[in-house]
Amino acid sequence: MLWTIDTGSDEPLYAQLVAQTHLAVARGDLAPGDRLPAARELATSLELNVHTVLRAYQQLRDEGLVDLRRSRGAVITAAAARDLTAVEDALRAFVAAAREARLSPEATTTLLQEELKR
Amino acid sequence: MTTPLDTVRTDWHGRARRSTLWSSVAGLGLTLTAAAVVRSWRDDLPARVATHWGPDGTPDATMTVTGLVTAVLALTVGLLALFAVVGLVWGSSASTRRMAAGSAVWSGGLGATLLLVGAGAQRGLDDASSATLSGWAVAATILLPLVPAVVAALVVPGDARQPADAPVPPEAARARLGTDERAAWLRTAQGGTGLAVGAAAVVGTTVLAVLTRQWPLLLVPAVLTLLFAAMFAFRVRVDATGLTARSVLGWPGTHVPADEVVAASVVHVDPFREFGGWGWRVGFRGGRIGIVLRAGEALLVERTGERSLVVTVDDAATGAALLNTLADRSRQNRTPH
Repeated sequence: MLWTIDTGSDEPLYAQLVAQTHLAVARGDLAPGDRLPAARELATSLELNVHTVLRAYQQLRDEGLVDLRRSRGAVITAAAARDLTAVEDALRAFVAAAREARLSPEATTTLLQEELKR
Repeated sequence: MTTPLDTVRTDWHGRARRSTLWSSVAGLGLTLTAAAVVRSWRDDLPARVATHWGPDGTPDATMTVTGLVTAVLALTVGLLALFAVVGLVWGSSASTRRMAAGSAVWSGGLGATLLLVGAGAQRGLDDASSATLSGWAVAATILLPLVPAVVAALVVPGDARQPADAPVPPEAARARLGTDERAAWLRTAQGGTGLAVGAAAVVGTTVLAVLTRQWPLLLVPAVLTLLFAAMFAFRVRVDATGLTARSVLGWPGTHVPADEVVAASVVHVDPFREFGGWGWRVGFRGGRIGIVLRAGEALLVERTGERSLVVTVDDAATGAALLNTLADRSRQNRTPH
């Protein structure tokens, strides 16, 4: 799959990798049993420190998206293939409502982040 | 407008002529030396030597010593001519020149072992009908020539760096990538039909060794298994350095630097028609290198020096677009002369 890193973004680099893995699973680009690239290989390709990639993989493990195994690397879990239709529908409704209210993307994101903190 | 391809053309043709010449001479030398040794054994050999053994291990065909030497020389010369054509016509990539040179030396070595092992076993015999051939002898005949072949392949020099002078054509697909963005595309290319063909070859040679009870011949399926394992799956990567495709076993592999990419695109590949089989292949068209594990969608990279590489991999469009974009970047980053 395609991995991108935006060095100009405020989002930490490891978090960008985590977000892309989530997105790839949601889109079906990654299926349960699929293996993520070896941390060293992905780090080299994106000119990142290997610890950045490992931190992303550890977070994905903590979130239950991947299994980390010494011999096989990071493997997408069966639990990763959750049905996110309800979340996506709600998100679409939320974005539509935010546009209706003429909220800026930044303000919309802030609202979402605030809600997540509760 | 400069025509850099013309200078490059003479470049690889010269390299191909050199490696073809010395590897053919070395191969022929091996067989001729063995032929001279066998002729010096003449007084020890039966008038007609056994040249073929039936399934029960007794000879079922014989030849005069001169006939044997002539037949083996003809075989060697035929194989040398074949690999010379491969090297001279399709040798734009160093890997192809290596393979052609290694195969030429292997052919000469095969001629030598055929003569030395076949005739050597019959020294001191009055009659060829009592000649026996052990499984070890057969395995050695096939596998021993691999040693000088590998040495020859390693001696062939690699390709010189040939950065492209022209930009990637504007009509080639690009990936959307911000100036602060880095990107990498990683996939695994896996086999289909080729794997089945390989498994059939391994099973076939194993059954043959078991049925004839020639246990040393099990070395042949062992070597084949290793070969097919190396060809079974390749990791493909596009990043700022260019395109890398490497067997999951670590060998074979290749790397196309981003600044040597002329253009990348998506093509449809028929491995058998265009490459004569599956795995790491040399194509019939202009010495194109193919890592062709299945039919269908593939990533084609046209490279400087009349070289090209095709890899059968899913989602090739994403890889091609990213490679074109990173090739653009490699041109921008180059320090002006």
